Amino acid sequence: MEEHSMSPELQNFLEQEKQKAMVNELVGKLTDVCWEKCITGTPSGKFSSSETNCLTNCAQRFMEASVLILRKMQR
Amino acid sequence: MDFSSPSSSSNDAMMDQLKNQLAQAYAQEFFGTVREKCFAKCVTKPSSSLSGSESSCISKCVDRYIEATGIVSRALFNATK
Repeated sequence: MEEHSMSPELQNFLEQEKQKAMVNELVGKLTDVCWEKCITGTPSGKFSSSETNCLTNCAQRFMEASVLILRKMQR
Repeated sequence: MDFSSPSSSSNDAMMDQLKNQLAQAYAQEFFGTVREKCFAKCVTKPSSSLSGSESSCISKCVDRYIEATGIVSRALFNATK
């Protein structure tokens, strides 16, 4: 792709959409993983507080684990 | 896609088209994931039709998965503070 023929406006736009897509992919993967870990029973009309806490903890611990793993890989 | 066109209205049309395509791709993927998760949870022994409780389970499951997406999304943005 020859970037010198693309307007800055388009370049910015594409970069933004790329970032958005990456965030959506991360949220999607996190929800998938944490649903499996936290929502074990039959779905009901609302989450219990332990399910909600589990989902929140899961997402945050996942991100911390990611940082840990990256650090180890950089040694 | 011809990125060399300087016309701003064709830029806008192209950006709109791309945004729509991305939104559609996202919705398609989300649909696929929810379908897999909720079928697994709610239809444990497939029979000759979907029972009322299976349908009701699927409906609740979709709502919960959407809610879970919101919870995870918010947790993600709080963790990065």
